[in-house]
Amino acid sequence: MSYFFQLVVSGVVVGSIYALSALGFVLIYKSSRVLNIAHGQLIAAGAFITYALTVWVGIPIYVSFPLSMLATFFLAMSVERIFLRRLIGEPIISVIMVTIGLMSILDGLIYLTPFGTENFSFPVFLPSDPISLGGVSISWTQLVGVIITFLLIGAFSWFFKKSTVGISMRAVSDDQLASMSIGISVPRVFGLAWAMAGLSAAAAGGIIGNITGLNFDTLHAFGIVVFPVVILGGLDSILGAVVAGIIMGLIQQFASGYLDGNWGLNGTGQVLPYIILLVILLFKPHGLFGIHEIERV
Amino acid sequence: MSSNRWLATGNYFTSYQQEQRIFFTTLDRSAMGLFLLLLFVWPLFFEVGNKYMFVIDNILVAVIAVIGLNLVTGFAGLISIGHAAFVGIGAYTVASFATVLGDRHMLITHAWPLLIVLSGCMGALFGALVGLPALRLKHLYLAIATLSFQMIFQWVINFMDFFNQGQTIAVGRVYFITGRVERSEHYLFWYYVILVLIVCIAFGVRNLLRTRYGRCLIAVRDNDRAADAMGMHPGFTKVYAFALAGFCAGVAGALHAYLYRGAGIDSFTLHHSINYLAMAIVGGLGTLHGAFWGPLAIKVLDLQMERLSEWAGTYLTAATNLTTALRPLSFGLVIVLFLMFEPRGIANWWRIVRSYVKLWPFRY
Repeated sequence: MSYFFQLVVSGVVVGSIYALSALGFVLIYKSSRVLNIAHGQLIAAGAFITYALTVWVGIPIYVSFPLSMLATFFLAMSVERIFLRRLIGEPIISVIMVTIGLMSILDGLIYLTPFGTENFSFPVFLPSDPISLGGVSISWTQLVGVIITFLLIGAFSWFFKKSTVGISMRAVSDDQLASMSIGISVPRVFGLAWAMAGLSAAAAGGIIGNITGLNFDTLHAFGIVVFPVVILGGLDSILGAVVAGIIMGLIQQFASGYLDGNWGLNGTGQVLPYIILLVILLFKPHGLFGIHEIERV
Repeated sequence: MSSNRWLATGNYFTSYQQEQRIFFTTLDRSAMGLFLLLLFVWPLFFEVGNKYMFVIDNILVAVIAVIGLNLVTGFAGLISIGHAAFVGIGAYTVASFATVLGDRHMLITHAWPLLIVLSGCMGALFGALVGLPALRLKHLYLAIATLSFQMIFQWVINFMDFFNQGQTIAVGRVYFITGRVERSEHYLFWYYVILVLIVCIAFGVRNLLRTRYGRCLIAVRDNDRAADAMGMHPGFTKVYAFALAGFCAGVAGALHAYLYRGAGIDSFTLHHSINYLAMAIVGGLGTLHGAFWGPLAIKVLDLQMERLSEWAGTYLTAATNLTTALRPLSFGLVIVLFLMFEPRGIANWWRIVRSYVKLWPFRY
C-alpha cells in the first residue's frame, strides 16, 4: 500500500509541474487561438537560464529563479513581437507552422550552447535526506517544488480573476472585436499572453531542472506532454489544465510503477499520455472542461 | 488558340474539359516527354560517383514523401507533424519482414516491388487511423493527433525488441532481371526505380486533382462548412487525404529502407517530420511541382550547412556539435522566413517567371 501512496506522491509532484506548464500553453491558445508547438523549448530555456545564472554567474537560486522567469518573460514577448505579430489575420494553419519553425530555431539555438548535448545538475541547496511519513518519502526539492508550483498557480488564478490586465485578457479571448471597442489593445494582450506563458514555462523548467537534473531531451519531452494534458483538460480551460496536469502525472507514475517490467513493457509512462490523447480526440474531443464551439456559417 | 502557351496572351478555353487537360498542346506534351527521357538517359552519359548518386536518390525519396505531405497539408489544409512516422511505417514494414524471414529471404530480395506497394498500403492504413479524429474535429486538433502518433511510433520502435529497439535492422541486396544488384550499381539501380515510381505517383496525383475527389479536397481546405453544404463529406475527405499521404509516405519509407539497406529510428524522428514540413512549405504548399523544389532546396541547404559546420569546426572547440545545431536552426529559419515573406514557396517564383515571359515586354 505504501508503494501506491509513493506513486500518488510522485504523480502529484510531476502532475503539478505539468499543470504549471500547461497553464502557459492554454493562456496563449485562449487569447490568440495559436497552438504553441514551441512550448517545450520555452521550458528548456527557462531551466537553462536558471542554471546559467546560479552556477556560472553565481547568484543564489532564490534570486536567479525569479530572474530567469523574468528573462523568459521577455524572450517569449519578443518571440511574439518578432514572429507572430506580423501573422495576425493570416490563416491559422500558417501561424501554427510558424510555431513549428520556431521550435526548430530554438532547438538549434539550444544545441549551440553546452546544454544541448551535456547533462547538468543543480547544486544541492536543500537538505538532501527525504522526509518520511508512514513509508512514503518525498525529497525536500520535490516538496518545495510542489509548494512553489501551487503558489504560482494560485497567483495566476488571482491574476486572471481580479487584476485589470487579467480581466482584459479574458475579454480578448471572449470577443476580440468587442474588447477592441472598449479600448483594450489586442496585440498588447497577445504579447502579454506569450510573456505570461514564458513566465510559467520558465518556472516549470526551473523546478523540473532542480528535481530531475538538466537534460535537453527530458525537458523537450516535458514540453510535448503538455499536449495530452491540454487536450484532456480542454484546450481553452485553465482549470482543465491544472486538473488534467495532475491526472496525467498520476497516470504516468502509475503506468511506470505497475506496468513496466510486466508483459515485456518498458517506458509505458512515456507513451500512455499520447494513446490517451488519441482516444480522447476520438470520443470527447473538447476534453473535461473545454468549451464546445458551435460554428455558424 | 496559340500552339505555344508561353506566347499566348490570354485564356482561350471554351469548355471546362479544355481547362482541365494536363497537356494543353502538342508542344507541352513533347516537352514533358523529352524532359522525362532526359531524366532517364543522363546517367548513361555522365559518370556520377556513388556519393552524389546517393544524394540524388535521397532527394527523390524525399520528393515522394513530400508529394504525400503536400496532399494532406497543401491540398486538404491539415497540418501533419508526424509525416516521418508514416515514412517510418513503410520502412519498418520492410524491416519487419526482414526480421521475421531473415534479410536474404526471396520475398525481400526478389519480390521487392510487391513489398514497396505493401508498405504503401500499411502507410495508408495508419494514415487513415490517425486521420479518424478528422470525422469530428478541425485542423488544430489533427496537428496534435499526428504529433502524438509520431511520439507513439518512436516509443514503439525504441522499446520493442521486435524492432531491435531502434537500432538498424538490415535489409538484403535485391535481385533484378539482370541478377543481383551489386554495390557499384546499387544507387544507380535505385535511381531508376525511384524515378519510375515518382513519375507514376506524380501523374496519379495530377490526375487525382482533376477528378471529383481532388476538387473535393481543395473545397474542404478552402471552406469545409461550404463544402459540407455542397454535399461533400469533409470528415471522410480528410481521412482519405491522410490515407493517400500515408500511402506516399509508406512507399517513400520502403524505398528508404532498400536504399540504406536497413531501417533505424534515427531517420524517422520528430526532427525529420519538421524537415518534411519545411520541404513542403519551401516548395510551395498546394502545388505539385512545389514537391520537387522543396526537397531539392532543403537538401542543398543541408549539405551547405554540413560544409559550413565542417569549415567552422576547425576554428571552434570540439565541445559544440555545430552540425546538430545548424540543421534545426536553418530549417526553422527557412520555415519561418518563407511563411512570413513567401508563403506560396518557390513554386510561386516559377509562376512569376512564367507570367513575366508571357507578358514581356509589357510589365502587366
